[in-house]
Amino acid sequence: MIKHIIKVVLFTTVFSPVYADWQQPELSHNLTPVVKVIPASDFELENMEEEIKKLSNYKGKVVLLNFWATWCPPCIREMPSMERLHQQVNAEGFNVIAVNQMEDADQVFAFTGQLEIDPTFEILFDKTSSVSNAYAVRGLPTTYLIDKKGNIRYRAVGGREFDHPEVIKIIKQLVDE
Amino acid sequence: MRIMKLSNKFLILVGIIISSVIAPVNSAEVKIHKNEVSGLLTWTSEDKGFQIELIQLLPDFIRAIYAKHNFPSDEVERAASYCMFGTILKNTSQQHLSYRVENWRYRTKDGIEHAVKTKTQWLNEWRKSGIIFSWTLLPDVGEFAVGDWQQGFTTIKLARNDEFDLIYKWSLDGVEHSGVLPNLKCAPESLAEPS
Repeated sequence: MIKHIIKVVLFTTVFSPVYADWQQPELSHNLTPVVKVIPASDFELENMEEEIKKLSNYKGKVVLLNFWATWCPPCIREMPSMERLHQQVNAEGFNVIAVNQMEDADQVFAFTGQLEIDPTFEILFDKTSSVSNAYAVRGLPTTYLIDKKGNIRYRAVGGREFDHPEVIKIIKQLVDE
Repeated sequence: MRIMKLSNKFLILVGIIISSVIAPVNSAEVKIHKNEVSGLLTWTSEDKGFQIELIQLLPDFIRAIYAKHNFPSDEVERAASYCMFGTILKNTSQQHLSYRVENWRYRTKDGIEHAVKTKTQWLNEWRKSGIIFSWTLLPDVGEFAVGDWQQGFTTIKLARNDEFDLIYKWSLDGVEHSGVLPNLKCAPESLAEPS
């Protein structure tokens, strides 16, 4: 256990500068309309408070479904923009759900404490990646935009600036449908 | 004679079709960046809508990543024994782009081309060791819409400081392209070791 802790500390202190050197591309704001509109698979996952949440609970709202992990640099970069988006559009029938891959609440709690904005949107735990597999997620982050009827309408592979006016415009169009 | 002329015309036509579908290997500019603190190298190239970036990763970094995800120590060491690069792939075009790692090759200094080990091959090996973790490695397949990008580790079965060329391929709106990142170098064992 001590060995493991040392390794994690080493990772977060010694190796972070190496990781930080990994020059990241500019975050774009493109959301791609899906060619064939299909229903989003329902799922049940635990949130930070160990409550079970279903995607179908959000039917009637537009949902930004984001797959991520704390060790994924673009996931970290796009998360503040997801929070700003959530704060701007949440009251209008929109929710952000961030589905963490194979980590636990302690790891995510430690991570979110370091963010410039503490996320107020729902974070769920996909501990076996079964949900990301069902959504054919190949890499992190991957994001889907789901309409009020529960259909997948847009997709984004790689980090995005989610509070960009063009993204907000698309979301508001879906909210108004 | 008439049949031979028709046959030649047919072959020329086939040649034109093939050359219009399969573009030659590129000679795009490769930018090399050296980190002033660590000395680690990054190679970047962009051509025909495809941007590729490879950054050297230290073996201890790989060890830390997989130990953090509770890999058995022998699997941690096996991963760290590979020459790994952080890899960022991006669609910089306004068209659909795709890639398949199974079509990529690395060419060693003896001129021999080798297949790049895929994520699927790694996952099959990890499953046999009881590991369910399935992230960090570059996805085998990428289907990129406008603005999409992806990152993950590329794994090359070579020793520390070994040099090689990476031959990579992608498809832009149905047209195949390929490129070369020449003279890539595996990371040293540690930062203290001169690279």
